[in-house]
Amino acid sequence: MTESKTLTGSSLLFEVLQEHGIQHVFGYPGGAIMPIYDALYDSDVKHFLCRHEQGAAFSAVGYARAAGTVGVCFATSGPGATNLITGLADALADSIPIVAITGQVPTAAMGSDAFQEIDIFGLSLACTKHSFQVTDINELEKVLYQAFEIALEGRHGPVLVDIPKDIQLAAVTQRFDKLSHLRNKVKLPLADISKALELLTHAKQPILYVGGGVGMANAIEEVRDFANKTGMPSVSTLKGLGAINPDNENYLGMLGMHGTKAANIAVQESDLLVVVGARFDDRVTGKLDEFAPNAKVIHFDIDTAEINKRRTADAAILGDLKGNLPLLTMPLEIKAWQEQLQQMKTDFAWRYDHPGDNIFAPAVLKTVSDLMPSNTCVTTDVGQHQMWAAQHMSFDDPSNFLTSGGMGTMGFGLPAAIGAQISRPHDTVIVVSGDGSIMMNIQELATIKRYQIPVKIVLIDNAKLGMVRQWQDLFFDGRLSETDLSDNPDFVMLSRAFDIKSRMINKKSEVQAAIEEMLDHDGPYLLQVKIDATENVWPLVPPNTANHKMMEGV
Amino acid sequence: MNPMTLNKYQLIIMADDKQVVLERILQVTRYRGFLINGMNAEVNTGNNVATITMTVSSERPISLLVDQINKLIDIKGVKVDNSDV
Repeated sequence: MTESKTLTGSSLLFEVLQEHGIQHVFGYPGGAIMPIYDALYDSDVKHFLCRHEQGAAFSAVGYARAAGTVGVCFATSGPGATNLITGLADALADSIPIVAITGQVPTAAMGSDAFQEIDIFGLSLACTKHSFQVTDINELEKVLYQAFEIALEGRHGPVLVDIPKDIQLAAVTQRFDKLSHLRNKVKLPLADISKALELLTHAKQPILYVGGGVGMANAIEEVRDFANKTGMPSVSTLKGLGAINPDNENYLGMLGMHGTKAANIAVQESDLLVVVGARFDDRVTGKLDEFAPNAKVIHFDIDTAEINKRRTADAAILGDLKGNLPLLTMPLEIKAWQEQLQQMKTDFAWRYDHPGDNIFAPAVLKTVSDLMPSNTCVTTDVGQHQMWAAQHMSFDDPSNFLTSGGMGTMGFGLPAAIGAQISRPHDTVIVVSGDGSIMMNIQELATIKRYQIPVKIVLIDNAKLGMVRQWQDLFFDGRLSETDLSDNPDFVMLSRAFDIKSRMINKKSEVQAAIEEMLDHDGPYLLQVKIDATENVWPLVPPNTANHKMMEGV
Repeated sequence: MNPMTLNKYQLIIMADDKQVVLERILQVTRYRGFLINGMNAEVNTGNNVATITMTVSSERPISLLVDQINKLIDIKGVKVDNSDV
C-alpha cells in the first residue's frame, strides 16, 4: 500500500474478492451499501444486478454449484439483508459455499432502530454456517479472508459479513498478514477402516448410497471407481444425482419418497449400506425405524455431526472422501445380488407409453434429457416438475443438476440458472420449472433480458400447485385448498414483455419439434408445456411409511 | 417435553471470546431440542477465552448437542461433566 492513496474498506473488499479469484458478483444496491457500490464502479469485478436480493442469493448459489467455486452476493441493510435469508438458508441446507456481503447502518446508529436497520447478524445465526459483523476497519481484511476459508472448509456453507457504512468508508491503517495462521481447528479423523473392511467382506447384499457430499468432495472419480471395482449396486439421493454414471448397469437411480421402485426395494433388502456424503434425510429414509432394517452401516462423511445423527453407523469414516474411499475399494463376490437387482431394474423400468393426446411431463423431460448437448446444466424449481426431472433426466455430473434439496425452495430455478450460465458461458443451461414456482422469482426475467442470458426455460404448466394438490387428493380427501392457479398470467405474453422468445405447446405431437426449436435458439427461450392437472408423481412413499410400501398410482 | 423425565447433562464449553458466542450456543441448544436448566458464563473478559458451563436436559442423546456445538466456528472444545448433575 502506498501512503499517497487511501485504501477504504470498500476498495479493500474488491481487492480481497480479486485475490480469491472472484470475477462475478450478484446484488442489489441501497443506502447502507453505497460506498461498496461506489468502489465497484472502478473495479474489474463484474456485478450482475438482480431484481430482488433473493434472486441475487440464488444466482450466487447457482454460480457456486455449477462451477464448484464460491458464490458472492451483495445486499443493503434492512430489507435488502432480510431478502437474502431464504437464499442463505437454502445454501446452508445444501452445503453451498457462499459469501454474502451486507451493508449496515453506521456503527454510531446501530441499535437505535435506524432507517433500514435490522440485526442481520442476529438473524444470520440460524441460516448461515458462520457470520461476522465488522466494527473495526482493521479487522475487515482478516474477516473477509476467514469468510472465504470457512465457506470452503470441511462441509461447505454460506458465510455472511455485515459491514457498517462507516467501516466501508474508513481508511485502512493496518494490513492483515496473509501468511499468518487463520484458523487452527484440527480434527482428528475417526476412521473405523478395519471394521469397515470386515463389514464389507461379509456383506452379501450391499448397497452404495451416494449423496451430495461426493460432488462437493470432488470425489466423483473415486466413487465411480469404487462402484466399478466392487460391483456394488448403487442408489443416489436427489443431490447425489450425476455422481454415479447413469449408464452403470448396477445403478438403480434415486431412492426415497419419489425414488425408483428398484432403488427403494434394494435398500430395504440390503445387509450393508455404504453411505458416502449423505445424511439419512427424512425424504430419503421414509419411516426411519423401518429404513433398511437389516443393514449394517458404513458412513463416510466430512461432518462429525452427521455420524449417528439419524442412523447409527457400525463403522464411521470421517474426513476427505477422496482419500478414504480408495481404502475400501476392492472386488466383492456379490454376483447373485447384482443379477437380482439388474432384473428388478429391468422389470420396474420407467414407461413412457401414456394414452391420449395430452402431454406426459415425464416423457417431455426424458426427451429434453436425450436431446440436450453434453455438459448441459439443468436447474429446477420445487414440486412435481422437480421430481419428474430427477426421475427422468440423466446427468453425468452433480454440477449439471442444481436443485434445492434440503430447503425445497420454490423460486430457486430461474435465478440459479442465471448464476450457472454466468459461471459456464459455453454450456447450455436449462431451467425446469412449474407454473407455481416460476412466479416466485419471475422478476429475474428482467435480469435475463438485461444481460441477454441464454437460459432455456421449460415451464411445466398444470395451472396448479401440483405437488400440494397431489397430497390434497391423496391425503386430505381431495379438499383442494388454495392450489388452483388457473388464473396464471399468459406466460408467452409475459416472456415477450422481457424480449424472451416463447412458445406454448399442449399436444404430444408438438413436443419433439418444440424442444429442438428451444435448444437451437441462440438466446433465452421459454417453452410453456401445458399438461393435465391431475397427473401425479409416482411412485410415492406416503409420510411415515417404510420405503418399500410405496404407492404406484391410484 | 416434561423436564422431570428428561436426562440431565452438564456441559463445559471453551470458546473464542467473541461477543456473539453466547447467542450462538443458546440458539443451537434450543434448536437441537435441549432445555437449558442453568448456565454460568465468563465472557468478554478480555483474555480471549470464554468459558461457559451449562446444565441442559433432553430426551435426545447429549452427543447430538456436543457435535453441533463443536461445529460452531468459535468453539475450542466441549466436555460433558456429569459429576455433580
